[in-house]
Amino acid sequence: MLLNAILDHQVVFFGGKGGVGKTTCSSAFALAASRRGQRVLLVSTDPAHSTSDIFETTIGPEERELLPRLSALEIDGGREAARYVAGVKADIQRMFSPGVVRQANRQIDMAAQSPGLSEVALLDRMIDLIAGRGTSYDTVVFDTAPTGHTLHLLRMPDAISAWILALVRHRRAVIEIDRGMEQSREEAAAADPVLAALERRHERLTELRTIVTDRARTTFVLVAVPERLVIEETARAADELGETGIAVGGLIVNRVLPEGLEGEFYQSRKAQEAVYLQEIQRRFPRLPRVIVQQLPRDVYGRDSLALVSAQLVA
Amino acid sequence: MSWRDHFAEYRQRLADMMVGATLGRYEHELRQQTAELNDLFLLLCFMEATALPNPATLYLLEVYPYLLEQFHEWHRRMGIQHSPIGSLPCC
Repeated sequence: MLLNAILDHQVVFFGGKGGVGKTTCSSAFALAASRRGQRVLLVSTDPAHSTSDIFETTIGPEERELLPRLSALEIDGGREAARYVAGVKADIQRMFSPGVVRQANRQIDMAAQSPGLSEVALLDRMIDLIAGRGTSYDTVVFDTAPTGHTLHLLRMPDAISAWILALVRHRRAVIEIDRGMEQSREEAAAADPVLAALERRHERLTELRTIVTDRARTTFVLVAVPERLVIEETARAADELGETGIAVGGLIVNRVLPEGLEGEFYQSRKAQEAVYLQEIQRRFPRLPRVIVQQLPRDVYGRDSLALVSAQLVA
Repeated sequence: MSWRDHFAEYRQRLADMMVGATLGRYEHELRQQTAELNDLFLLLCFMEATALPNPATLYLLEVYPYLLEQFHEWHRRMGIQHSPIGSLPCC
């Protein structure tokens, strides 16, 4: 089965264990989609970016057009955090007195050191790309970091949402008691800038959730190779993705040996591979599977990517 | 002043009196409750200042200036002369 069914999806994640070929598959898919006339953005969220290498060019943290209808960028969490913090500081500078600005900046600088901030900043950039500018691309393809990191990232919106929602409820309760009967609920809430800011954030996270849990718009493609450890990790990833509400739309079994070769080494490898392929079939019975054969040479550059594309999309 | 105005004024005073009579009994309690809720809100916002992880830190940066005043009121109300959190030196 091929990946044609998900070509028209708005968001396609590619993920799996380290070294299985996530970058190769996501890049080949993005290339295939763009060649079919879709406007595609390929986004790497793996801190160890490989998309630049595979396209034999420098991509970097800003969107860059690589080919007609195919753009790419590599998100750097640390850089996004610095950018976000600078943006907040600029806003505060415009709105408050120098005394408040000085104190607020000190607090912001301290908070900016907290661990995990760059991950949230990375997520925030992803939200921008998914929910913010729906019209500039037909499809956003994510080349994600290895499984654990990515699952953590995809669970984050719910954790942050819950937190912000708790703050919103709290703030509302305070406002309601405080304002008493003089003002209506809406008026009192509308006048509070803290509540307004929190609710804006909550709305954005909700919008992200709506898009990524809509199986007609978002899908996650798992990439694996026929090896024991990889199969185990892929099975866990499939289960955990189920819990996040993101649909798993396919499983790519990458680097399968070609048929009809000779030699003892090849025969032994091929026999073992057959066992694993059967196991994959048994463990993922409902997932559409795509077999990608190992090529005689490494995959890099457009021409060899096209060879993989042809195996992913008919 | 016509009798209508008199009547309206009288009605307003009566209404104020009723509100006062009803709410006044609870006012102290309500204020205390608001203060407590506010304190908890502050704690939730400034958690990383007390070295507790907070998943929403990034999204709280923009509300800090609004909360600084509240934080100042809080430590004064607690009878602490100067800010007890080194990273939050509001006075």
